[in-house]
Amino acid sequence: MGFAVALAVAAAAGFIALSYEILWYRVISYASWSLPGAFGLLLAAYLFGLAIGSRIAGAFCKDKTRAGDTKQLRALAIFTFVANVVAWLVVPAFGQTAKTYDWPPALAAVAVAAALLGAILPLVAHFGIKPDERAGVNLSYVYLANIVGSAAGSLVTGFVFLDLWPIQTIGAVVACVGMVLVAALVAIAELPRSSRLASLVVLLGVSVGLVKATPSVYDRIWERLLYKHDFDAKSTRFLDIVETKSGVITVTQDGTVYGGGAYDGRVSTSIRFDRNGIFRAHALGAMHPAPKRVLMIGLATGAWAQVVAHLPRVEKLTVVEINPGYLTLISKYDEVKSLLSNPKVEIAVDDGRRWLNRHADERFDAVVMNTTWNWRAHSTNLLSVEFLELVRSRLAPGGIFYFNTTSSDDAKKTASTVFPHALRVYNFMAVGDSPFAFDKERWRATLTTMTIDGAPILDAAEDQSLLEDLVRYADSVNDPPRDDGIEKRESVLARVDAAGARVITDDNMVTEWRQVLRFQPPP
Amino acid sequence: MRAWIYLVFLLSGFAALLYQIVWQRALYAIYGINIESVTMVVTAFMLGLGVGSLAGGVVSKDAKRPVLLYFSLVELGIGLFGIASLSVFHAVGEVTLGMGALATFFVTFLLVLVPTVLMGSTLPLLVAHLVRENKNVGKSVGTLYFVNTLGSAFASAASVLFILGRAGQAGSVRLAALLNVTVSLLAYVAHRRAMRPREVAETLAKAMTVDHASDDERADDAAEQPKTVETV
Repeated sequence: MGFAVALAVAAAAGFIALSYEILWYRVISYASWSLPGAFGLLLAAYLFGLAIGSRIAGAFCKDKTRAGDTKQLRALAIFTFVANVVAWLVVPAFGQTAKTYDWPPALAAVAVAAALLGAILPLVAHFGIKPDERAGVNLSYVYLANIVGSAAGSLVTGFVFLDLWPIQTIGAVVACVGMVLVAALVAIAELPRSSRLASLVVLLGVSVGLVKATPSVYDRIWERLLYKHDFDAKSTRFLDIVETKSGVITVTQDGTVYGGGAYDGRVSTSIRFDRNGIFRAHALGAMHPAPKRVLMIGLATGAWAQVVAHLPRVEKLTVVEINPGYLTLISKYDEVKSLLSNPKVEIAVDDGRRWLNRHADERFDAVVMNTTWNWRAHSTNLLSVEFLELVRSRLAPGGIFYFNTTSSDDAKKTASTVFPHALRVYNFMAVGDSPFAFDKERWRATLTTMTIDGAPILDAAEDQSLLEDLVRYADSVNDPPRDDGIEKRESVLARVDAAGARVITDDNMVTEWRQVLRFQPPP
Repeated sequence: MRAWIYLVFLLSGFAALLYQIVWQRALYAIYGINIESVTMVVTAFMLGLGVGSLAGGVVSKDAKRPVLLYFSLVELGIGLFGIASLSVFHAVGEVTLGMGALATFFVTFLLVLVPTVLMGSTLPLLVAHLVRENKNVGKSVGTLYFVNTLGSAFASAASVLFILGRAGQAGSVRLAALLNVTVSLLAYVAHRRAMRPREVAETLAKAMTVDHASDDERADDAAEQPKTVETV
């Protein structure tokens, strides 16, 4: 193999390997609800496979196989072919194992595929580099070519393909790129003309077969990963799927939304038939007398933003959402789509923490965050002391930060430690530097005067009993603490301290590592 | 000797991945975890490794250069950067937060350039060392890549199962730096052991030269002795 060919093969192998890795990363992210431990174990399996592959390749590199020997291209072509097919099968392997053992067994498939892909680089180095004094420098070129190919895979597949196509299409495209590499190796190998043509025809046939087989082999991969043992081949099908480079959003037939595989709420703003605890959004009206300027971090289904935008005295709602796919989703649902045209609402697509950092001059009467699960990867960035201090610096006098702790004692402790005034409202914490209360009369006024898109949220005649029940919720602050009630700061601190809660910092990332492995039941 | 080299390269891979995990987290907290930021950080890491690979290859080209000593110094450099890394990231992050995407990528690239270049240079350096011994590129690359990647695989699993939860970001980085210093010392010992036969040979050669010179001097002295005696 010539040195130039070695460079090209190393680059192409890097592109293919990293493209597959991106797909596997996306699949395990969805299957595990973005569990940080799952990402670490995926990387471990991938690297372990690469290590084993390079070891096996090293053992195959006998002294007889000298650099420049084009016969070796045949062996490399066969090897690359097998690696490509096995790597293409990893995503379906996740889907198959999810039914019985969730995602961990599929890591074995990742390791096998990575072993095959990882063996390519040492083989290329051996066939393409002469064992002389320039071995080190020539290896560095091959290694660089592999890295450049990997970077290109990260950019093209992670940035372009993921925004253009669903995962099955990308799987087919990457597999075809792999087959092009195999074909190139066959084309330059020392083969009789007839054998070469026959090999290329077979490769073309296999490629067409892969493309045609992909829809059925990758069939309903997201449904399989979410429903696990409840997946039914005949009936389980999502109502909607939005795949972008920022993530995968799926909607079940009953309107429940899963972002990256994790429960992300429902497209429902109804407090009359409260299926998603939406009263917690209305409750902001009871705690702040005039939340004129509100910042909401995270948009998701749009239900919370729709409610907050219609709270009495709200003049402007700024929403920061990291995944633009939610805008697509919201535009499809009548209950929330007016958000996109509401002149009071401004939506920025960005990372919430970065947005806050970049808008040092902005001040808000309330910052609302219906945070995702506290144990998901990078949740620390939105729950730590450092983040809470950042939010504090953006609060107007009398402002409150109101966020979902997803029942984490660590998050409750952190909030109650950083801020001198705090209330727990169900699993939310409302915190601020000035005293505030869950005001019963303001709560009643909110419930009786509020409308969404012109429609009252409660019917004065029909919902009188419900209204009184809801208003009485304000009294729960005086009752013994209960999980769904209101609780004062001192009581919260005493309880979470007794439970061994810790203050979350950027450094300790407590909530993410409290339980490394956890498996979510199907919906 | 080779087992020694493989052990230090395994530890080197362990430390490198620990850094990568912590640094990526630290950078994501600064620049965001949206896909643009993640891609920028990952690409900056890879480019740094690539540039380092080139640098290591160029340095290893000259057969007279002590690549093991260079490897030892590189590991020490990674460890020293590692200790200061989180402080550097946060300081730079505060200053550069408002910049645009391209400028952010450039700053991220510069931030990780020093350590990733050093990390990337390690494989070519050690490949050059082993190929000088066994004349087999595939075997050398395969085995070194194997132990280094195996170290990284262990680090990836250990970091999520044990290290990050117990040590946090700062503690994990300190652990990685400690590993780098250990690797540096071990590599230096390996370098000294590899140099010893050459030093012994050079010392012997020098001694032989001195001995010959002394013999010649003695012969000259002997030749002159009678004259001196006669003179006296």
